[in-house]
Amino acid sequence: MIANALTSVDISVSFEGLKALSAVNIAITRGAVTGLIGPNGAGKTTLVNVLTGFQTATQGHVAMDRVVLDSAPAHRIRHLGIARTFQSGRLFSDLPVLDNLAVTGVGLGLSRGDSEARAAAMLDWMGISPLADRIAGSLPYTDERRVAIARALMLEPKYLLLDEPAAGMSAAEGDDLVALIRRIVAEIGCGVLLIEHNIGMVLRICDHIYVLDSGEIIEDGTPASIRTSEKVRHAYMGTQADAEGEIL
Amino acid sequence: MTHRPSIFLRSLSTPLILILVLVAFLALATFMNSGPFNQVVIDGLVKVTLVVGLYVFIGNSGVLSFGHIGFTCLGAYATAWLTIPPLMKKMALPGLPEFILEAKLPYGLGIGFGALFAGAFALVVGKILMRLSGIAASIATFAMLAVINTVYSNWERVTGATSSVVGIPIVRVVWPYCLAAVVSIVIAHLYAISRSGLALRAARDEAIAASASGVDIGRERLIAFVISAVITGMGGALSAHSVGVVTPDTFYLNLTFICLSMLVVGGMNSLSGAVMGVVVLSVIIQVLRQFEKGVSLGGTVVSIPNGLQEIAIGIVMVVILIARPTGLTRNQEIVWQGWPFKRVSAATEP
Ligand SMILES: Nc1ncnc2c1ncn2[C@@H]1O[C@H](COP(=O)(O)OP(=O)(O)OP(=O)(O)O)[C@@H](O)[C@H]1O
Ligand SMILES: [Mg+2]
Repeated sequence: MIANALTSVDISVSFEGLKALSAVNIAITRGAVTGLIGPNGAGKTTLVNVLTGFQTATQGHVAMDRVVLDSAPAHRIRHLGIARTFQSGRLFSDLPVLDNLAVTGVGLGLSRGDSEARAAAMLDWMGISPLADRIAGSLPYTDERRVAIARALMLEPKYLLLDEPAAGMSAAEGDDLVALIRRIVAEIGCGVLLIEHNIGMVLRICDHIYVLDSGEIIEDGTPASIRTSEKVRHAYMGTQADAEGEIL
Repeated sequence: MTHRPSIFLRSLSTPLILILVLVAFLALATFMNSGPFNQVVIDGLVKVTLVVGLYVFIGNSGVLSFGHIGFTCLGAYATAWLTIPPLMKKMALPGLPEFILEAKLPYGLGIGFGALFAGAFALVVGKILMRLSGIAASIATFAMLAVINTVYSNWERVTGATSSVVGIPIVRVVWPYCLAAVVSIVIAHLYAISRSGLALRAARDEAIAASASGVDIGRERLIAFVISAVITGMGGALSAHSVGVVTPDTFYLNLTFICLSMLVVGGMNSLSGAVMGVVVLSVIIQVLRQFEKGVSLGGTVVSIPNGLQEIAIGIVMVVILIARPTGLTRNQEIVWQGWPFKRVSAATEP
């Protein structure tokens, strides 16, 4: 176990015989960006679910800053300062954007007024204040993504787990996201876990990268070492990343 | 950042408008000064209380409850126990504990205790039921209704079983019912704009994301469940005092059907929908009742067979829901959009 890190220790998960994760060890360090890449169905989302209390591990445990999180429910995990986004957005579509953020405030024990003030400040920090009164369900895709990140950042979590935040974004929007993640690390000091199929983005921004394939970590290291890894090239052969002609 | 007024001020117009509507009915009843019309208004106000109570839980949590009329039963019998003259009680309900047998409380206190009794019961039952979600939770609330009905239909010495419990002081003036309906609207509105109300509506939209936002869904559901039980319990006690008689079957499937219909027709995710559903369906029911008795149209008496009322309500409900699946209010709150309030989008308020 490492201080100042969120770690999965020998995490295994099985779904009715299907082994989704086998003894996975990763560490997400505060103040750094950790990448998690791997083909579709590798188990990336499952790992995030385990780290955030949505999935109980068949084996192993999760520790935050040396404290073991003993199968705490998801809302408790958020109280401890581990926030996440979802691959599918999952905004509160009937609520205005401001309330989407304020929910985290009231969830973590603030009054509604204080929550709204914090939410407004967060939208301001993200530069999306004009969206405050829009109903979340009516937002265009990229705004939806930004609101989802803003919501996860409410009350400054210690760890932020981003599950494919750039999916469907243009190159320019991807660049904005990279800048945003850098700001999150610099100004809020989160430890960020970035799951992305856009390998270029991952290589550009991450300090450390894990490669997951069929539920196993097959490689980890700095972007430079991942770029040249034979194993990684092999795992991605013929998969979507390859087909899209991404750098590897 | 622009300064925004507090949620309390932003949303104030909705309860004020709804209360004004009820007060208008009170004024009309006072003006007409007719016994039968008073009874119609009283009936409507009791329904407002019940349906607003249902809304607090169903509207905010999105979990359909078939069980709340059970709380109505608890509230009604509780006030019966406390307000029937002791002599009558000793005859009819000898199994009651001594201190209740001796009690002869004014109806206001009876209603208050009825509401609290329902709330306390909901707190205990809710601790278990609120672990469930979706259809499982709905079925469990239905089971709760069936259990309450069975107990009250068989516990001869305490509830009089299926026979009518009589001797409940009848309250024929309209204002207490209006006051109760207003109180229930105020409570429901305050809950909707509270922390818990916001958290619960978020969970209704996206339960998983709400958990990931730190919301303890079970806890917030329990809070809404208890508050809504208090209101529906109060409604049950009021209904007992409006007719002076209670039986277990008064508070069973028929009432559940009518109240849920009213909520759904009005728009179950909004307080305005709860009130509007009661007003619209009550008017339709009154008209149908007149036709069941026979209405003279151009010399010939037109009448419809008894029981057609329920069928007609069912048809009306289906028609309204086809035209407007989210109810008459489209699940939005009625808001005052002119002076002195700034224009607000209805959907931004609970
Ligand atoms: N709740 C579940 N029940 C059964 N199987 C599941 C469940 N969740 C995930 N799986 C399976 O576990 C494996 C890993 O899924 P997971 O969603 O974690 O992959 P992923 O790496 O996030 O993929 P993607 O890149 O497509 O998002 C897949 O084979 C998936 O079908
Ligand atoms: Mg995934």
